[in-house]
Amino acid sequence: MKREVLTKAGLAVLAAALIVAGGLPLLRHRRFDVPVVMGPGVARVERLSAYAPGVARTIADTNVFVLEGREPGGKAVLLANTHANEPEGLLAALVVVENAVVEKGTVYVIPTFNASGGRNTKPGDGYPLYFHLQTDWGTKTFRMGNRDASPLDQWPDPDVYIHYPDRQLLSYIDARNTNRTWPGRPNGLLMERVTYGAMELIRREAVDVAIDIHGAETMFPVTNCIVAPEKSMRIATLAALTVKAAEGFESHVEPSPVSFRGLSHREIGDHASALPFLLEAPTPFLDQPTGPKTEKLLLDGRDPFLLSLAKKKMLFVPYDESGWPLEKRVGQHLSLILEILRQFGKKNPERSIVLKDVPRYADLVRNGVGRYFHDPAAAPKGRVVME
Amino acid sequence: MNLIMLVYYVICAVLLGLCLWNFFREKKSRDDLVLYLLVMVPLVLRLLRWK
Repeated sequence: MKREVLTKAGLAVLAAALIVAGGLPLLRHRRFDVPVVMGPGVARVERLSAYAPGVARTIADTNVFVLEGREPGGKAVLLANTHANEPEGLLAALVVVENAVVEKGTVYVIPTFNASGGRNTKPGDGYPLYFHLQTDWGTKTFRMGNRDASPLDQWPDPDVYIHYPDRQLLSYIDARNTNRTWPGRPNGLLMERVTYGAMELIRREAVDVAIDIHGAETMFPVTNCIVAPEKSMRIATLAALTVKAAEGFESHVEPSPVSFRGLSHREIGDHASALPFLLEAPTPFLDQPTGPKTEKLLLDGRDPFLLSLAKKKMLFVPYDESGWPLEKRVGQHLSLILEILRQFGKKNPERSIVLKDVPRYADLVRNGVGRYFHDPAAAPKGRVVME
Repeated sequence: MNLIMLVYYVICAVLLGLCLWNFFREKKSRDDLVLYLLVMVPLVLRLLRWK
């Protein structure tokens, strides 16, 4: 009897140790906040729940940074971390928040659009929980998230996700993917409430331009591009041609498919007057046939297996020993954002949106991304927000 | 938390209870004890809302 109790107690302690050792790092990651220094352009910070009460008091509620210009003009919204395992979007949005000055118009920035996904991870793929950037004042740590919201926040998954309102049948996992749940609904699944919040922001504030910032596999054809529906095509094409001529990097234009529902570049344009754009930068970390999913791969984008595939012409982007580093990806996004806004302003001068002090592609490649983040410890009181 | 999600948490708790019950009642097989504990790991993590 005594032996039996001892055996059971010993095994139970081992199991408890397993749970604590495996679970605590995940819990800490879920609760880890990134301090963001509000730049000179930030007038106020709102919450998404102001537009979608259905996300209030949930982990999905997220910051909306409002950058207001000295003179009125048009309005733009930047969405990042729609997929929280594509950090070039998050970093581009945060560089805008921490540095931009708006001369004309208003810019709404949502750096962590899928806030639940930003606190989720993909242990089966061995994702790092964090990544670090060197700045002028020390190391800044960011959470590495996952493509989809955490099942802790939206559970269970359906057998098939039926898109609202078109009733198109999508993969079950896309019920937690905030780039399949557009335009959303006020009382639907949590991720549908998130996209509904952004749709309401776009409709109520009469937003002119909506830019959703992503990363994509080098083996996926829709990479290194601007995805645009018919109504945004002209501006997307002009932006792509201009950055190629003036800044020397390529980003082609992909048409947004009419019959594939739930995507931001389709539904925003169909359910509001805004012009939607989705930016994709090549992210080798996301490809399947790579070595281990390390922080180094995430940052420098160098992988010998992808290099071998590039030699066999199996990638959709040029790829060599230099990989596809983070600064290049963030730089492309920032230049494209500025160029899209410039082209929109040329066509609609009374609704133009003018940003300054935002670095461009060449600045990022030369200086790195960390240079553009400010020390939260040295920031004025009340100018730091936890993200 | 919507109603269906709440029900799934209740199902999780019931399954954990069944595993615990079997764990305490098992007298002979050490292999079964280990299996019950392994089955309990994800249930505990979900109920604690750690993962």
